[in-house]
Amino acid sequence: MLLLRHLSNKEERMGSSFQSAGVCLLGCLFLLPLLIGNGAGTPPTSAETTSMQKPATLPSMQRTTPLEAEVKAEIPLRLMIPSIQVDAPIETVTTTAEGNLATPIQHPWDDAGWYSPGTLPGQMGSAVIDGHLNRPGGAPAVFWNLKQLRIGDAVLVFTSTGITHHFHITRVAAYQPQDAPMEEIFGNTNGRYLNLITCAGVWVASQGQTTQRLIVFATFDS
Amino acid sequence: MVLSMSIACSIFMLLAYTGIQSSPAAAESPAFIRIVHASPDVGTVDVFMDGMKLLSSFQYASVTNYLPLPAGSHNMKIALIGKGVNASVITQTFPVSIGKAYTIAALGMQSTKNLSVKVFEDDNTVAGNTSKVRVYHLSPGAGSVDTAESMHTVIHGISYSQASDYILVPAGSHVFDMTISPANVAIPVSTALKPWTVTSLFAIGLLNSSPALKFVTAQAPGVPGLPQTGSSPIAESSQPWTFLAIALCLLLTVAGSIYRRERSA
Repeated sequence: MLLLRHLSNKEERMGSSFQSAGVCLLGCLFLLPLLIGNGAGTPPTSAETTSMQKPATLPSMQRTTPLEAEVKAEIPLRLMIPSIQVDAPIETVTTTAEGNLATPIQHPWDDAGWYSPGTLPGQMGSAVIDGHLNRPGGAPAVFWNLKQLRIGDAVLVFTSTGITHHFHITRVAAYQPQDAPMEEIFGNTNGRYLNLITCAGVWVASQGQTTQRLIVFATFDS
Repeated sequence: MVLSMSIACSIFMLLAYTGIQSSPAAAESPAFIRIVHASPDVGTVDVFMDGMKLLSSFQYASVTNYLPLPAGSHNMKIALIGKGVNASVITQTFPVSIGKAYTIAALGMQSTKNLSVKVFEDDNTVAGNTSKVRVYHLSPGAGSVDTAESMHTVIHGISYSQASDYILVPAGSHVFDMTISPANVAIPVSTALKPWTVTSLFAIGLLNSSPALKFVTAQAPGVPGLPQTGSSPIAESSQPWTFLAIALCLLLTVAGSIYRRERSA
């Protein structure tokens, strides 16, 4: 009897063990991409920590020689959004073969992409920077937390000439791609704007994209 | 307890992987209008929108940049400079839509009492490293306009107060030969087309009198399509282990639950 009860308890524990193992593995599966990913929702890597502590020095660090720096035109090098701990290198992007704004190539999930045929951040017009929401598999990418931004939050752009442009957020809105105010995003030349773009909504596998785009509108301060 | 925890965990994970998230409501965006003064015998004007002065001292043959304007219906009045809104010579009401771009042209002759406003909907999307060109015929009494380059006609027969379709042109320097029919007058127009831009050629003025017909050029930034910045929340072939692991997790969870239920029964 004791033996049977012992076996029964043991079997129950086995059942519990199966469940526990499943739960643990589920938890690990969820946490693993977050731990592997170094998007905005994760603790920064050592490189990010360094860059976040010394953002003002980064543009100058990218210059090799003063002569080379002088001949280079101003381009944005780094994007910093303190309220959501974004501190990302900026790549120069143009358009895809389909005519859409391209995304970063060198480090697709960690870098932001500045639309170089458009406006330079800080100049009259609408500068546009995009970034991925997530990585394949769902782990966060550079703009994972863009939806957390609020009106008034600061956005900083560090340039190759050592200048830091300061912007503040004026609007955060999600649109179906066909309903997005494209002229306002790319073509508003009545001020100095910086607009950030990432994906939002639900992934539609058959289309290979999400249902919405999140647009963060920012206006130049100094 | 364990089962409910596991279900909750599964749902949490699936939500994370499918990227479901709250989306802020789309805020109101403006339309964008640019105004062209193409009325040859109306001098410098003030332009009023919904009773408020929008442009001061707006000269003949000028083109503004695209200006933001709230979506909806608007009443535009054009008056000679300094005369005030109540002395307007042109009044027109027109609707504009969120995010769209428009060209608003002041047309016609005061002497023939046919002043008017024409609204053109513009399309500034540019698909790649090229340039788009559109011709607007705003020259009263000038017949039709053909546009040719290197002896090849690229835009045929645009009538007065009409705009052509957009044509794609490689970026760079171009000379367009604008031929006015039936007078068969040719006017060359040299322009530098920047990549990723939209160039407008406005025929403004009078063919056989003053102010003479000329082509005014305006260039606007091209608009690309929106980027694809999302990724499949389900790991692809590069990470096949994820599918197997998810299946194993679910199997273990369900098996444990069934086993416990059978034992307790």
